[in-house]
Amino acid sequence: MSLWSHRIIVERRQWMTSESFVTGLTVARLFPGPNQINMSVYIGSIFQGLPGSLAAVAGIILFPFTLLMLLGLLYFQFSAIAEVNRLLAGLAAAAAGMALSMGFKILEVYKTDYLALAIAVIVFVSLQVFRFHLIPVVLVAGPVAMSLYWPRGPGR
Amino acid sequence: MTALQTWWHVVLTFLKLSLFSIGGGNTLLQAYHHEVVETFGWLTNRQFSDLYGLAEAAPGPSSMLVGLLGLGAGWKHGPVWALITAYSAEIAILLPSTVVMLIAAAYWNRWRDSPWRIAFERGLGPVTLGILFSVSVTVLKTANHSLIAYALSFMVCFFVLKTKISPLVFIGICGLAGVLGFVR
Repeated sequence: MSLWSHRIIVERRQWMTSESFVTGLTVARLFPGPNQINMSVYIGSIFQGLPGSLAAVAGIILFPFTLLMLLGLLYFQFSAIAEVNRLLAGLAAAAAGMALSMGFKILEVYKTDYLALAIAVIVFVSLQVFRFHLIPVVLVAGPVAMSLYWPRGPGR
Repeated sequence: MTALQTWWHVVLTFLKLSLFSIGGGNTLLQAYHHEVVETFGWLTNRQFSDLYGLAEAAPGPSSMLVGLLGLGAGWKHGPVWALITAYSAEIAILLPSTVVMLIAAAYWNRWRDSPWRIAFERGLGPVTLGILFSVSVTVLKTANHSLIAYALSFMVCFFVLKTKISPLVFIGICGLAGVLGFVR
């Protein structure tokens, strides 16, 4: 997805430089919000500020969202039908597998960083074993992790 | 709850969660489940996992599940309220993070050498990693009610990581297995 939009936005249309595109990707990934939505906010804002961002977000989400909501209405209307339920059970199992794979993909990056693994395990245990809510966990773990990774020394 | 009260609780719930969707969206699934199924009882466990499957199979940005959850919350007040609640829920989850994104995008390069930026870039990753695994466990438990379903999930996970086959293929196969009655 990001490769493809880079091709269109930077190479073909030349709407922005490759560097500012990469900046956008970094910020979109780091800050809260879905990556694709954040990226459209960024690209839109480069052109027209706030209205540009709103237009870009509407462009990327309005059509698929409306379609999905219609499917959702059908679901609530017809979920008594056995085939619909069975289909969705299959889809949910596939989606659960993909959610799990996301974790393993990011795990690759931190394989040798024991501090990162320790933070991840503590976050996991607080959420899953102690069943703390996400918001307090992020509010505590975020600043703690930031202070542990605070750049030190002249070399940084 | 009246339709308006439901709408208000939906909007408030997702506004509150928006800024905690770090790492790209999926990190909030457990929190959604907690609010929508356990706290408010808008949806059953079963409906939640059905809608999750639907949202994941549909093309488009990952946060669209929120719209479906809003739809479910508003459904008992009729389809019109369901749609109003759905669109409001999606706006609520996207608005705060969009505003922060706009501000961050404008200032990011100016903060290049700031220790805040460096610590933020490095520190948030491990937290996201922990959340993602916790979310996966919750999703596995919510979506799967049989050993075969678990086996299917683990197989999808394995093949997504080890091969370059498009995820759409697995969605198709699992959907078919579901229709044929193998999953439950």
